[in-house]
Amino acid sequence: MNPVAADPCEISYTNLQVQKEPDQTSTAVAFDRRKVYRPFLESLNSIAPARELLARGLIIPRDHDPRDLHEPPIHEALAHSAELNRGTQMALVGGIGSGKTTEILLTQQVLDRHADAVSVCVDMADYTDLNELNPGAILATVGMRLYSWLKKKGDDAEVVTPYRLLRKLAFPQKQFVHPDSLEPDYDGEEGVWVETRGLMRPRFPDLRKEVKEVKELALAIASPLLEKDAQITFLIDGLDRLINAERFREFAEQDLRALRGTKITVIVVAPLLLLYDKSRFLQDYFDLVKHIPAAAAGPRDSAFLRRILERRHALDLMNRPELNSIVKYSGGVIRDLLTLASSAAAYAYRDDEDKIGPRHVRAAIGQLGNRYLAGLGTVHRRRLRRLAEDHEFRTEDPVSLELLVNRQVLECFDHTRESFVVHPALAKVLPKPE
Amino acid sequence: MSEFSKTTAFEVVRRLASMGLTSPSLYILVCDRGEMETVEADLSAEMDVQLGSDLRLLEASNLRVEQLFEATLPNGGPRVVLLTMRQWERKLVDWLDRNIVLVTDAGPFLLLAELEIAERVLSVAPNLRNRLADILSIRPDPWVRRVPV
Repeated sequence: MNPVAADPCEISYTNLQVQKEPDQTSTAVAFDRRKVYRPFLESLNSIAPARELLARGLIIPRDHDPRDLHEPPIHEALAHSAELNRGTQMALVGGIGSGKTTEILLTQQVLDRHADAVSVCVDMADYTDLNELNPGAILATVGMRLYSWLKKKGDDAEVVTPYRLLRKLAFPQKQFVHPDSLEPDYDGEEGVWVETRGLMRPRFPDLRKEVKEVKELALAIASPLLEKDAQITFLIDGLDRLINAERFREFAEQDLRALRGTKITVIVVAPLLLLYDKSRFLQDYFDLVKHIPAAAAGPRDSAFLRRILERRHALDLMNRPELNSIVKYSGGVIRDLLTLASSAAAYAYRDDEDKIGPRHVRAAIGQLGNRYLAGLGTVHRRRLRRLAEDHEFRTEDPVSLELLVNRQVLECFDHTRESFVVHPALAKVLPKPE
Repeated sequence: MSEFSKTTAFEVVRRLASMGLTSPSLYILVCDRGEMETVEADLSAEMDVQLGSDLRLLEASNLRVEQLFEATLPNGGPRVVLLTMRQWERKLVDWLDRNIVLVTDAGPFLLLAELEIAERVLSVAPNLRNRLADILSIRPDPWVRRVPV
């Protein structure tokens, strides 16, 4: 069958809302069908841990940088940079669901080919509520994870003391203190601190006292590895979920800057918002910035997306035109690709069908589109229509930026040229102006 | 009027069954305020009948994040959590958005709310929205004979 066959979803949209009366016969048949659909649905779980998918062989690595066909894939570029320039600091940005965690794990896999590699992958949300995160917390996590690594190897004897001190600094403590033992935090003279603005504004603020303390302890823990010239890389995920870009900047200026010059390499996932920030902080601070755009545009990317579904045996349950529709309306967002395929399968299962048909795919597209449409006010809808009709989109505009961060608008690269599109599933359900 | 696919507790649980209780999944169930308690009861009953498992019911109002965190921990075997949000809870939604990976890690998580609340959740919680398996408009099961109170 022709892989670019007519899109069955171009037929007028009708939502699948038929509610079937349950009966004994359909329940018996559905039980058998469950064995067909369950493995497919399990392989499509769009929020399954990336590590698990990697282990099950369901990850399809890209064969090039999504922004540039002639550049190596992101995970290779990041790993090569970490291997050659120890202490380098790199950022990975991309929209929600674009595959950042997968790239981080693939990078770790490449790094681990060396015997002296100490590659530690952390999701900061596993340790603390990101909003409660204070400067120094990332650095403390680095120290504690390095200690765990050394302990597993039985090499922790020398670094137990700094580890204990680090834990004291990192976690809340409760101890009895006699009031007489408390010293005032000034030397007895009356006075106030007066700050005078100098002629030169420092590029970055000074490291805070507590960050300096944590840095010393973290480096003391790392010292046995640094002395052996090990290749230490920290891959830090989760900070992209900090919607406030200023908070991320604070961590970079304190925690990451404290690691500068230490030969400890850092690869950090950063919020997409910062890529379009006027200050260009991301590009200025980090040695290398890699961006995963939505893979919406060219046929090469479509092939990549098709492979993701084919690896999950999608063609056992749907024909090529349905698969192509799912690819098209995913907008190239990998998580949406999996969600569409999964929803379509769930609709087909609900209809007691053995295969996913065009109407199931249409229903899934409508459902995804409605999800993106929900909660959008008049101003947001106007911006979307302006982009759809006049191709006008300004990233300096806060409303537009919000649409981009929330994935209602997708950023695409075609031959290194950046453009923006309304998410195709949303475009399909976006109401016309009255 | 909600444009989301209509469903019932029977179908929701059937869908969870097709995925397996150990798979992380996240659903928003949109429901009229007056039908919330019936839907909760339907879901609990379907969980029991179809999967032989309990539904962990949580009320969003006055819920401390520690309680939510504890309810979603993977210890104690497979579990499904249903969080009912009867009024707008900005702090809780922000927390959910930041910690959505943790919350969904150990199995299915269902958020039950009326349309207006669900739309507000979707508009301020991009991480949560992007991890949704589906948004469904849920009604009480029509064929369940209810005992008049």
